Amino acid sequence: MALTRPIADTTLVDQALSTAPSHALGDPVVVVEGLRKSFGAREVLCGIDLCVRAGEHVVIFGPSGSGKSTLLRSINLLEEPTHGSLKVFDVEYGPDGASGVRRGNPLELRRTVGMVFQQFNLFPHLTALENVALPQRAVRRTKRAEAEERAALALRRVGLLRHAAHYPNELSGGQQQRVAIARALSLDPKIMLFDEPTSALDAELVGEVLEVMRELAEAGMTMVVVTHEIGFAREIGDLNVFMDQGVIVESGDRTLFDSCTNPRLQKFVSAVL
Amino acid sequence: MIAFASSLINWSYAWANRGALLHGLLVAVEVSALSLVLSVSVGLLLAVMRMSRPPFTWLAAIYINIFRGVPVIVTALWVYFGVSEVSGLNFSVFVAAVISLTLLYSAFISEIFRSALEAVQRGQREAGLALGMTRPRIFVSVILPQATKIALPNIGSMLIGMVKDTSVMFVIGLTELVATVQNLASVSYEYFTLYTAAAVIYIAVAFTVDFAFRTIEKTMQTPPRGGIARAAKGRRRRHVQAIMDRFDASWQQQGTSAP
Ligand SMILES: Nc1ncnc2c1ncn2[C@@H]1O[C@H](COP(=O)(O)OP(=O)(O)OP(=O)(O)O)[C@@H](O)[C@H]1O
Ligand SMILES: [Mg+2]
Repeated sequence: MALTRPIADTTLVDQALSTAPSHALGDPVVVVEGLRKSFGAREVLCGIDLCVRAGEHVVIFGPSGSGKSTLLRSINLLEEPTHGSLKVFDVEYGPDGASGVRRGNPLELRRTVGMVFQQFNLFPHLTALENVALPQRAVRRTKRAEAEERAALALRRVGLLRHAAHYPNELSGGQQQRVAIARALSLDPKIMLFDEPTSALDAELVGEVLEVMRELAEAGMTMVVVTHEIGFAREIGDLNVFMDQGVIVESGDRTLFDSCTNPRLQKFVSAVL
Repeated sequence: MIAFASSLINWSYAWANRGALLHGLLVAVEVSALSLVLSVSVGLLLAVMRMSRPPFTWLAAIYINIFRGVPVIVTALWVYFGVSEVSGLNFSVFVAAVISLTLLYSAFISEIFRSALEAVQRGQREAGLALGMTRPRIFVSVILPQATKIALPNIGSMLIGMVKDTSVMFVIGLTELVATVQNLASVSYEYFTLYTAAAVIYIAVAFTVDFAFRTIEKTMQTPPRGGIARAAKGRRRRHVQAIMDRFDASWQQQGTSAP
């Protein structure tokens, strides 16, 4: 508990005193408090506290099975937390919000939080353009012509306009993941969640996806990224979070990797690098 | 052997009665086509019920297990003589035939759909949810198209089975192909010729259905294959090409750097 970053505003001071953040951070947009999640009798998240500020880039890493995906999937309610509070833009979505407070609608939550999956999860029966256009038509009731124009813009942003008519099985893994990013971005999310977006990719395709994510980070998008790309984490991570066995073991800014004292973290970092 | 068999066939007699035979075929095809549309709809509904929660799950399971177990002939007699008598609704034989086949085939088709729906990757639903799509919309736009593609070959087999099973409907007096042949044979005694002709017609239907479903499967490939698919998607392709050209050009005008 004590190791995780406190939610109070003192962090601003802490940050100013340690290394200066690469850019100014805004108000908290995701506030997770005491979040727990069990699958049957097995507790996978054992009390998570995490605060994500507007424009902040949070990197989560840790060994397999430590609950990183479950935490990320709790933030957009793909997993229903068992206990705890989850506030996104000051709306409570967790089961343990203050009594009398109405819980937010998951559909609305997911319309402000985009997600990118390890396995891309593009719709295989639709072209790249249709993959990006469908959610706009479905979620925002955009007319087909307009949705397709916006889709073309989103594809252009990830450098895949010329692949608009291709189906996912005609694209490389890296291209598929970029389409998936474009698809999420075209709905103008305020927060983007990435669950090991490059883990399913061949080594030579990792770079193009990280490049798109880097641009997104530079553009000021609020991002929560589960990744084992420590180099990338050093580059964009404002807050690096090490998870193990359902708890946040240690967190900190980009000095975390160099000055860590925790033996579990040291062991993990030296194994990954 | 074939030469011997064909010497026994009175081709000119069969040809002279082509009108009656084709009428019998037409009835069989009409009954099958209508039953297919209905049993695909009912089958899909049953599959969704079967995959939802109790009591729907077991209602669907009971239905499926009953109608997968009853022979066609029993269902036909039950519907036409039993149900229509008890209920006082006097079905025509045509309607009774369609109801019978729908009752039976919806049970089989629901199982085809269930396994196809289960075969669609879990991540597909999650991607839809993460994008803020509603569950019904995810089902219609994401899951169902993929499941249909998986189910299609088996539904083709079902249609072939259905056309064959219309032959049983002669017991309730439907003048489909077999009933037509029997009527003709009772006068002319040309049994071998007439039943051979009937068999040839059934086989031709099977080949046609197979070809049709293969064509549909090809159009559902990604990218679609075959001339029919190309023709059908041609306009769409030009439309997408136009969008690409337009946005590519506007992007160059802005003078941003190359990707
Ligand atoms: N739907 C589920 N039902 C049961 N157990 C689950 C479910 N999802 C995850 N778990 C379990 O929860 C634990 C944490 O899983 P999670 O996927 O969050 O780990 P992770 O840190 O993302 O691991 P990885 O690096 O392998 O992706 C694992 O032990 C996993 O087996
Ligand atoms: Mg994971």
